[in-house]
Amino acid sequence: MKWNLIRTKVLAALAACLVVGVGGTLVLMQYSFARNSQALAVESVSGAQKLFTILETREISKMTAVSESLIVNSLVRDAFAARDRNRLIELTAPLYSRFKSQGITNWSFYTPEPDAAFFLRLHNLGKFGDISMKRFMVDEIARTHSIVAGNELARAGFAVRILRPIYDARGKETGYLEFGEELGQFIHAMKSQTGDDYGLLLSKKFMDQQAWADSNAVWNRRDNWNDNPDFVVADKTTATESIMRFQGNLAAVPDQGKVLERFRDGNSVFVRGLFPIRDAAGNVVGAMFVVRDISSVYAAMRRTQNILVLLTVVSLTGGIFLVLTLLNRLVFRRLRHIIAVATRVVGGDYESEIRVGSDDEVGQFEQLFEQFRRVFVDLLAHMPELQG
Amino acid sequence: MSRLYDLKVLIENKIKADGLDAMAVKGKIGLRTGKMLAFINPDTPDDPETVTKLRQAAKDVLNINA
Repeated sequence: MKWNLIRTKVLAALAACLVVGVGGTLVLMQYSFARNSQALAVESVSGAQKLFTILETREISKMTAVSESLIVNSLVRDAFAARDRNRLIELTAPLYSRFKSQGITNWSFYTPEPDAAFFLRLHNLGKFGDISMKRFMVDEIARTHSIVAGNELARAGFAVRILRPIYDARGKETGYLEFGEELGQFIHAMKSQTGDDYGLLLSKKFMDQQAWADSNAVWNRRDNWNDNPDFVVADKTTATESIMRFQGNLAAVPDQGKVLERFRDGNSVFVRGLFPIRDAAGNVVGAMFVVRDISSVYAAMRRTQNILVLLTVVSLTGGIFLVLTLLNRLVFRRLRHIIAVATRVVGGDYESEIRVGSDDEVGQFEQLFEQFRRVFVDLLAHMPELQG
Repeated sequence: MSRLYDLKVLIENKIKADGLDAMAVKGKIGLRTGKMLAFINPDTPDDPETVTKLRQAAKDVLNINA
């Protein structure tokens, strides 16, 4: 390779352009890929959070509507006002089995304050008469005497609940009605809708060990209080505990959630994140972990990246080939012809002519050189050495 | 006869023997020497510098040691 040639220098410059172009595209694609992956991961967490909020709102609406129809039922209202437990059971037990199949796992009647005792638990018929544990929602309804809704831990587990007053036929408040749906079952509904895996972790700081033990007894579950020093696993949709691996303070997790990691498992790519769970009092009492399989989107992004890189390489290579071909046809080949004609004229071929191909820059030079050649040949014709 | 002319004859014989394009080869040698071979005849005086250049051109172009 002769570095003094324009063709070599142009070729080197174009090769450098190819390397810079492909390298730049790769860097840009990698940057774009990382950003899109992060956006996808963030969307996975926020999507799970939105779904959770939708489910929570929908279930609160459902329980509100069900309780509304129940408290206007004169039979139920009168049986509760008369403190006739057997009659109340007779009226509500058939309903409870149907409500339970619709997700309403907890159903209780309370007597009003000052004692605020459990009059009847449909989910635990044998247990009644005890005083409610210290709870924000119970305090709140005693203060406002209007419907209260939110997430709260009680003796039958951590649940989304509604608590509302019941009135007798004369409009006098006779007590409270509570419906609850365990949050643990939410994650199974979420999994069935999205296919993602979820885990619900609750901070022990906001929980009562005895309440947790009681709720596990009600639902015949193993008491896992001692499994972790700071948290309890309320429920999860996967057998592995790694879904809820987390080092840090749950209260510091931003409200919009947080992406923890992107990881590979075999050929699949997953993102893992969490968002905080607040109780009715507004405390961050736990977190929902989500693991989403983003393999298909990830593979599509990779495929797009590869196609773009390939297109860049092909287009730049094609561009280089086109530039070299044009340079060869428009410049180098015509310069070689001029050199060949000039050489032949010096060698004695005075008939050899330069073909003027066009009126571009090289064409102007060809024309000039051809005129020069004619003058030169005419001059030679008059040289005495050549006339003899 | 001059040395320049002897060299010219040697070059022409070589071109003929190898079947080369005479005009192109003579042109290359003429450009390297700075003198057209057509101007060299038996009476051309030997300029040492031109002789050296022609000998070198013959070696470069035709690979002949004159």
